[in-house]
Amino acid sequence: MGLPQEYKLSIRTADQTRRAELALSPQQTGAEIIQSAVDHWALPTDADYTLVNVTQGRAVKPNETLDEAGANAGDVLEVQPVLVAGGGARGVI
Amino acid sequence: MNRDRYLRQQGVEGLDVDRLRAMRVAVVGAGAIGNEVVKNLVLMGVGAVDVHDFDRVEIHNLTRSVFLRESDVGAGKARAVVDRASAIDPNVHLRAVEGDAWRTLRLADVERLDVVICAVDNVEARMRLSQLAMLAGVDLVNAGIDSRYASVEVFPHGSADPHACFECHLPESAYRKVAERYSCGWLRRSMLAEDKVATTAITASVAGALAVQAALRVGGEVGPGARRTLFDTRTGACTVVSLGRNASCPGCAPLSPRPRRVAAGGDWRRALALHAADADAVLLSDPLIFDYACTGCGTTPHAAGYVGRRADEFDDRIMRCAACGQLAARVDIRSEAAVDDLLQLYGDALPPAKYMLAKVGEPGAVCIDLEE
Repeated sequence: MGLPQEYKLSIRTADQTRRAELALSPQQTGAEIIQSAVDHWALPTDADYTLVNVTQGRAVKPNETLDEAGANAGDVLEVQPVLVAGGGARGVI
Repeated sequence: MNRDRYLRQQGVEGLDVDRLRAMRVAVVGAGAIGNEVVKNLVLMGVGAVDVHDFDRVEIHNLTRSVFLRESDVGAGKARAVVDRASAIDPNVHLRAVEGDAWRTLRLADVERLDVVICAVDNVEARMRLSQLAMLAGVDLVNAGIDSRYASVEVFPHGSADPHACFECHLPESAYRKVAERYSCGWLRRSMLAEDKVATTAITASVAGALAVQAALRVGGEVGPGARRTLFDTRTGACTVVSLGRNASCPGCAPLSPRPRRVAAGGDWRRALALHAADADAVLLSDPLIFDYACTGCGTTPHAAGYVGRRADEFDDRIMRCAACGQLAARVDIRSEAAVDDLLQLYGDALPPAKYMLAKVGEPGAVCIDLEE
């Protein structure tokens, strides 16, 4: 049995102010999906983002395809910020 | 010690007060999250807490840092936090370590810890702490905030089971931003404005609570493997996801299998001969300057001041030749070196790095600890 031609998935930002229903290729990677979301929703480019599959409770690696990540039709993906501030004045180290 | 202090904790299912008393934790970063983490660790009665920070207290820290006061402005953060936290519970052994944690945290010391809690302020520092925790085989709890979210990641490096590291899910954009801080690969840019991320006491306190829960595992293990919790402080929404291992991760792939740490004992050549005699190259924890020359005038007036030292001691201003004034210096900086080149440069002297890795990726991989 071959790969499905596309997955119908929901994608949203962490604050859930932006949402979309999409048909995505199983070969699309986490990084590609994040880049599309940043471009389409004009998300701040000074932040870094990571992709999680909320339905399955697992993060999608940047170089991992939806197929490799075990995504299923109907899953909800969320674009989350990568938080690296600790609330100090400057960096430590 | 009056054990009545811990009376209300003794009834908590899965909370062993004696286990907490025996724990030793390092908190790296005494900023907003670090303050909250230390507060919670001390209130919980953890046995020993080391607080690492090189920074000094600034007035704007006071809106998010529970232990800091106006009278502390200008003082070392770690010292100020430890002094005030000590008053909460004198049974907790608190220690302030002031300085760059990459320099003050020796691998041998990390190995003796139960957990490292990372509350630093940038991605590069997080990568470095991740490396130390992986090499030492000690669990790492990584906490970060902005003005809305709190994120806490748990990396069980004390476990022998395969698991993700901090870098396994890091996007390419994060590496680009780190690279932008450097010129010619390893020399820090001298004229770079650091971004300031807006944060609040609210996100810091949530991150501090989640981080300490993850570190102490009150109530028992949540489950195997690495995981991330992202908490939205505005809505209360929270997601918990597992973090799978990335086989091509630049952070942990070179450390798989985990290199066995051996002490250099002041003689790196002997340690290498004993434990990795057939290695002809090593990876260095710190990029080192192997050569320096001006391609403009051909002189090497300051080579002696640079060659053999760590690249992080300098910034890109050394690219300008002191003799001819041209921006034409060629600086040979390496993080991987042939053993013969190391011998030529250092002879019997210890290279100024934390450690060197030999036979990386092989079953006999070793980490030669140059600080022990």
